[in-house]
Amino acid sequence: MASLANTARLSARLASRNVARCAPARSFRMSARERAAQNFTMPALSPTMTEGNIAAWRVKEGDAYSAGDVLLEIETDKATMDVEAQDDGVMFKVLVQDGSKGVKVGERIAVIAEEGDDLSSLELPADNSGAKSATQEKRMEAVEQKERSSSQEKSLSPEESKKSTPSSASQGGKAQKQTKPLYPSVEHLLHANGLTKDDADAIPASGPKGRLLKGDVLAYLGQISKDAPANATARLNKLSHLDLSNIQIAKPTPAPEAAKAAATAQPELPQETEFAVPISLAAVIATQKRIQDSLGIFLPLSTFIARASELANEDLPIGKSQKPTADDLFNSVLGLDTVARSSRGQYVPEITGLGPVSYSRPSNKKADIIDLLAPKQKKAAPIVSAESVGISSGDNVLSVMAKSGDEARATEYLERMKLALEKEPGRLVI
Amino acid sequence: MFSRLLPRAAPRSALQAQQQSLRYVRASPTTSSLFHAQQRGYATPSEEKDLVIIGGGVAGYVAAIKAGQEGLKVACIEKRGALGGTCLNVGCIPSKSLLNNSHLYHQILHDTKNRGIEVGDVKLNLAQMMKAKETSVSGLTKGIEFLFKKNNVEYIKGTGAFEDEHTIKVNLVDGGETSVRGKNILIATGSESTPFPGLEIDEKKVITSTGAIALTEVPKKMTVIGGGIIGLEMASVWSRLGSEVTVVEFLGQIGGPGMDNEVAKQSQKLLSKQGMKFKLNTKVVSGDASGEGVKLEVEAAKGGKAETIESDVVLVAIGRRPYTKGLNLESIGLETDTRGRLVIDSEYRTKLPHIRVVGDCTFGPMLAHKAEEEAVAAVEFITKGFGHVNYGAIPSVMYTHPEVAWVGANEQELKEQGVNYKVGSFPFSANSRAKTNLDSDGMVKFLADAETDRILGVHIIGPNAGEMIAEGTLALEYGASTEDIGRTCHAHPTLAEAFKEAAMNTYGKAVHY
Repeated sequence: MASLANTARLSARLASRNVARCAPARSFRMSARERAAQNFTMPALSPTMTEGNIAAWRVKEGDAYSAGDVLLEIETDKATMDVEAQDDGVMFKVLVQDGSKGVKVGERIAVIAEEGDDLSSLELPADNSGAKSATQEKRMEAVEQKERSSSQEKSLSPEESKKSTPSSASQGGKAQKQTKPLYPSVEHLLHANGLTKDDADAIPASGPKGRLLKGDVLAYLGQISKDAPANATARLNKLSHLDLSNIQIAKPTPAPEAAKAAATAQPELPQETEFAVPISLAAVIATQKRIQDSLGIFLPLSTFIARASELANEDLPIGKSQKPTADDLFNSVLGLDTVARSSRGQYVPEITGLGPVSYSRPSNKKADIIDLLAPKQKKAAPIVSAESVGISSGDNVLSVMAKSGDEARATEYLERMKLALEKEPGRLVI
Repeated sequence: MFSRLLPRAAPRSALQAQQQSLRYVRASPTTSSLFHAQQRGYATPSEEKDLVIIGGGVAGYVAAIKAGQEGLKVACIEKRGALGGTCLNVGCIPSKSLLNNSHLYHQILHDTKNRGIEVGDVKLNLAQMMKAKETSVSGLTKGIEFLFKKNNVEYIKGTGAFEDEHTIKVNLVDGGETSVRGKNILIATGSESTPFPGLEIDEKKVITSTGAIALTEVPKKMTVIGGGIIGLEMASVWSRLGSEVTVVEFLGQIGGPGMDNEVAKQSQKLLSKQGMKFKLNTKVVSGDASGEGVKLEVEAAKGGKAETIESDVVLVAIGRRPYTKGLNLESIGLETDTRGRLVIDSEYRTKLPHIRVVGDCTFGPMLAHKAEEEAVAAVEFITKGFGHVNYGAIPSVMYTHPEVAWVGANEQELKEQGVNYKVGSFPFSANSRAKTNLDSDGMVKFLADAETDRILGVHIIGPNAGEMIAEGTLALEYGASTEDIGRTCHAHPTLAEAFKEAAMNTYGKAVHY
């Protein structure tokens, strides 16, 4: 058993190690020294490899090589691998040439000699690779037989069978061959109770993927109740799954209702208030006149107002009713986008003249005619016609409607309008 | 999406309105929406994908990369403009940066002198600390973008919504719209902070964890609603940086429901020593953020004594809830439960078997590593027909100082279930490495089946608990007994020796205690 494990472990190691085993190393046999030339056999490069192709020899007949040099490349179904020399030496004869397919592991593929050997006088040694593999096979058989007999012995032992049958039934876990390394606690318990590793295979295993646990051995030994390992496993198995029982599905009905309620509630919410500020258009009219005098272009009042409004709407402070969304906040934290503290307003002012004079039609008409005369201002004309009602040359009231919460926004807008129209209206148009 | 477009569209629509008539007080909504329609380019739908993932958080991006590696044609939709979701951008990662650096600062202030290191004038440069955090975060998110490219994942920046069972309409971040068809669809939209009723989150005065990692100055007084992991971690950061922190918790213990009672008590004691104040069994009745600071009305959870807590900043950390807003789930008939979690079966499938859900927006603990495991399992269900997550071995870590970590069952749960268990623990004060580090608060505690010695739970409070819990998780995954750990060699001198000795103390006796 141990030797079998050993073989498996060794063959799993790197290719170079395998070469050492498959190509008989000089130091292993005294006879090798006398014969001088030795057989070099196909190495096994993985535990499962049975045959391979020789891709290319890296050393030619007669070449000397030193330890670590690549002797040849071997192709398997998995990969191409280099085979390195274990010792210094000379390639005496290549027997299986480049490109040979399906060369069995252990078959002689070359003959190597020691450094300084006279190649011309050397003789090819006998090919004993076939014989060797035969003995290997025999040895393996012997090991298997021993295993079988030992397990038979165990199952025949009445005491053991009595122990294992009930426990296997109650533990739920099946006894199975433990292919993975045993846990330290398990190994300790086995040794302490005089059980062998083969016995371990007969103990029902309750661990994940059939692993043998301490509890299994304790139950097998009768030191704890037989059900304990199975109970522990059952409990942990239950925890290992997402608990999807008793899912209470949300009723879809309340959502639309809530939405409806929100929808009905919403129109009432934005209560609008009118904000007004007295404003004198004297400066604007003066500028208008100046422009007409100097450039001969008539600019209607509406142009001034529209441009002032455009300016005033820029970067207004955000109202309370306008909340940054969760996304905005998230993005601002990431530095992807700052939360806008201001945004462009969409206020459109309403101008009313003070006093009864402001409602006089003539001024309105007058503006209309002049407007029509000024070809470039056609687009703005309707605004004036609608809006200039009541614009007086003196004091007017500029007003906007604002939702509750947007008070600061509206006031800021109005103040900017006042500033733009009263202080330097000329800059609006130039 | 619309909020992004609006500011850009506003100037012109405002003008239009003006030109029409000044009598209209506001620009009519039709003009602005028309304007949008003009601006949007309708991209032609691309070929059908094998897998379309909605959400580029931990669950989504891991699934995308995994699927890419498996050779699927995969697209991942993310609306944030940065991959990694909450965890990477405003959660686990940035908070760890702040926790680590604030700990360093705190240590220089209070601890290094005893160790023979005298530092002159110690000053906090919060802006620089935040910058260090951002560098970590941006490096990591860019890393994911690189992995997407490497694994041929199509990254769609936009907000996805179901058009039909196989088609997702995406409102692109950069304007425009596209749609993508998938044979399989994975919903991984994650979660958001549960808001506290009556307190509006502005991320300045009333903050969630998102705002707590981005405060521009250290608040004088901070109140944390919720003494769970997130609350305590953020409380630690600001307390170390100089805030006077009060944690208000409804339950009788900190750390949330999973933490072992004994560990929670010890943790509370140690955190109190650092200057944090705790109000357990206390509920917040109402809040008022209208003034300069924030006022919270609290009272004992079982009724009784009321008081007012005033603070500059209030952190709302009462949990997280699934985020599935805007997915248009109703149109394809997907169901959620009463807590908003998408209903799935054991293979993460919804009612429509080609649509799967993983991560925070469905059942199970809201943890990044759980989401990651599920993402891999879900992709494996698609490609191989089998995937598995062991929900019994998912570790939890709280990165305070000392750290707290656990995996498996806690003592109160075992008691409640009537399980016959045994306990073994080992204090770090008896561990050589902890002693030499002058950092020996805490312990390792094992809970094992009384009969079989199989490990049922591991609880650690102490230095490096978060790293050490990996060994406990591995042990649980393999069904190990405490003796298996006790008989495994642990290097000397390490903190992990305490882990081994605690195990030894469970099935036998510890050597050094």
